[in-house]
Amino acid sequence: MLKASSTRSHSSEKAKKGAALKAYQGPLESGLNRRAFLRTSTAISLLAGFALTKPTFAIQQTAANSTASNNLATDGDIFTAQQQQVLDAVQMQLFPDDGDGPSAQDLNALVYLEWAMTDQQNIDDGDVDFIAKGITWLDDLAKQTHGGPFIKLTSRQQDKVLKQVAKSQAGENWLSLLMYYLTEALMLDPVYGGNPNMIGWQWLEHQPGFPAPITGKTYRDFL
Amino acid sequence: MSSLQEFDVCIIGSGAGGGPIAYELAKAGYKTVVLEKGGWFDEEDFKKDEMLSRRKIFRSKIADERHVLEEPNADGTWSEDTTSEFWGGNIVGGASNFMSGYFHRLKPEDFRLLSEFGPIDGANIVDWPITYDDLEPYYTKAEHVLGISGKVVNHPNLEPRSTPDFPLPPTAEHPIANWFDKAAKDLGFHPLPMARGILSKPFNGRNSCEYSGYCGSYGCHSGAKASSRAALLNDAVKTGRCEIITYAKAYHINTDQQGNATSVDYYDKDGNSQQIKAKIITVACYSIESSRLLLSSNGEKHPNGIGNKYDQIGKNLHCCAGGTGHGVFDLSKLTVEQAAELKMRGPFFNRALQDWYFIDDKKEFGKRIKGGTIDFVFDPPSPTSDANALKRDDQNNLIWGTAFKQRLKSHFTQSRDFKFEVFCDWLPTDDCHVSLDKSEKDKWGSAVAKVKVGFHPHDLKVAQYIVNKGVQVMQQMGATQAYGNAFTAPTSNLIAGGLRFGHDPKTSALDADCRVHGTDNVFVTDGSFMPNGGSITPTWTIYANSFRVADKIKMQLASEKTTLQQS
Repeated sequence: MLKASSTRSHSSEKAKKGAALKAYQGPLESGLNRRAFLRTSTAISLLAGFALTKPTFAIQQTAANSTASNNLATDGDIFTAQQQQVLDAVQMQLFPDDGDGPSAQDLNALVYLEWAMTDQQNIDDGDVDFIAKGITWLDDLAKQTHGGPFIKLTSRQQDKVLKQVAKSQAGENWLSLLMYYLTEALMLDPVYGGNPNMIGWQWLEHQPGFPAPITGKTYRDFL
Repeated sequence: MSSLQEFDVCIIGSGAGGGPIAYELAKAGYKTVVLEKGGWFDEEDFKKDEMLSRRKIFRSKIADERHVLEEPNADGTWSEDTTSEFWGGNIVGGASNFMSGYFHRLKPEDFRLLSEFGPIDGANIVDWPITYDDLEPYYTKAEHVLGISGKVVNHPNLEPRSTPDFPLPPTAEHPIANWFDKAAKDLGFHPLPMARGILSKPFNGRNSCEYSGYCGSYGCHSGAKASSRAALLNDAVKTGRCEIITYAKAYHINTDQQGNATSVDYYDKDGNSQQIKAKIITVACYSIESSRLLLSSNGEKHPNGIGNKYDQIGKNLHCCAGGTGHGVFDLSKLTVEQAAELKMRGPFFNRALQDWYFIDDKKEFGKRIKGGTIDFVFDPPSPTSDANALKRDDQNNLIWGTAFKQRLKSHFTQSRDFKFEVFCDWLPTDDCHVSLDKSEKDKWGSAVAKVKVGFHPHDLKVAQYIVNKGVQVMQQMGATQAYGNAFTAPTSNLIAGGLRFGHDPKTSALDADCRVHGTDNVFVTDGSFMPNGGSITPTWTIYANSFRVADKIKMQLASEKTTLQQS
């Protein structure tokens, strides 16, 4: 197999997770200083919250306070119950119950996401913190533009808010990251908690390899 | 651990270059030791789990060790960045655990590129100090020891063989191979079944391929893949004369006043320095790292690294030039039977074209030139990565919801993508080499390798010419979309050279026996020795040459013994 590898095409794990090329540009990189951002209209400055991504100090704190777990079960305290509600609603927008194929809930996408947040590399990437921050910004935007928290909006309103979120680079990165974990819940082996009873594979007529990973021989057992 | 362990041969690196030395010398009665930086994992560990590759399990992590990569920019300047893409396999058996095993031999002309095709401006082309005939017996030996499967078919560029056919029949073929054969013949080309380093039948205690459809970068769970570990090291260890020390990171070869090696220093699992003494030291750490180890091993006679008197260590590194292409078939446009054929997963594509191994197109190139090979293959499946990539449309916009789900469904259930890979010479130049980085250190505190990967523009022209042929074949097969690209990015998993062999110490690093110039007892047995890579994957050649060098080492040890007995 030919693996053509350039550091430019593999610049970071972020690129692998599928953030657009100009990932994580803050206001300074985009040529606007913080004050200029604050002068813009309210709605846009809320979107700008998404541009202030993954503050370095927060990433380090998260990494320092977390330990990698080799246990497939998590105690579910990565996100608060409120945060979970928002994430569940967002995931159902990203991967809806539309009559063709499993929905995010069918895939156990939220349970999977919380488990993935115990992976040291994901922690080191700052994903836990970034996802949590994005929930706050999303709710602020929902309240600002539609007068209520995201989970209280109709499906159509939620879709509108997400489309607005996607207009900022950081907001798009946030959605892209959630999609990254959704595709893991869809296509990884059920041993990791998503894709229960191979529901994702069956829908996409995907033939898995064998032997499959088993408890005690998952990737985390080799870390 | 005592520092008094003494061996006949110390082998640094357990991949395709190290395995044959351990196997041959241990079987011949010599006491051997293998230093392997990674751990020992085997068939029980190799699950078909996409997360193993997503997390680079069994490979070195960038936080622990990395390379500094210099790449050419369009404006003539060079970019510089660190990367972990150039680590093959941090594991007993090395990267051979994760090879696809597309096996081709070199052709006799590859051994005399300069005299056959003449010089090319800016390229350091030379003839080899040995001929194809010198290596042929070892290609054959590798077939029989590793268990190489295939079928010899006569074609215009078939290399000479001493045996009529392979010891094992070809592995099972995917229905697409028939589509391919017809299309290629219709175009007047010569379709070839590709030999594989994969067992089609049980062999020497190893199970044959079970056709899970998850090969290549997935480790083999049956033992069918001819990794150095499965095919050689297990047998070497069984002799009782081969010890494999895992998590042993060799960092310095010590030399005496004559310039000969006396011992190897390595860090053990706990980071403590240990030492092995041996009569012969062989180095096979994958090109970049083999050059790095020699450059790092200074001594009284070797102030700038072992064998580096004429500044040849790390020079003339090469990757595989070439490209890739795809034929995408829209299943909804095929009959139910045709679609069912293309959807099959398990057996292999196993086809190659070597019609352009030499290109005689005077209109295009002015004279007969060296060309390349096209392999038609399946990439190892990566459904999660594929699904994630589909979240962006052609304009790079994020899509989600029902639109995303339908895109996934169409991709996975209504289309099939078949791939080809083009292999050409990456001409050695003064802009492709290994040195020690002045600031970057690995986790043990040693200077990391700095790799400069300049390419010769000639390579791109040749690659594009052959890529176009591959696209033509895909179109003829009826692909809905057929496209291909030549590339100049380095092939991180297919690097060779850096320590090329030759007769003249001023223009080569090793002698014809792959002994480092200026030493009696340091040998290099990975792909580093190759002055040019040939237009194929080098693995079979690395195995064959390592078997050849093993015979040279046996002769040397035997003659030393005789001398001792006489004195």
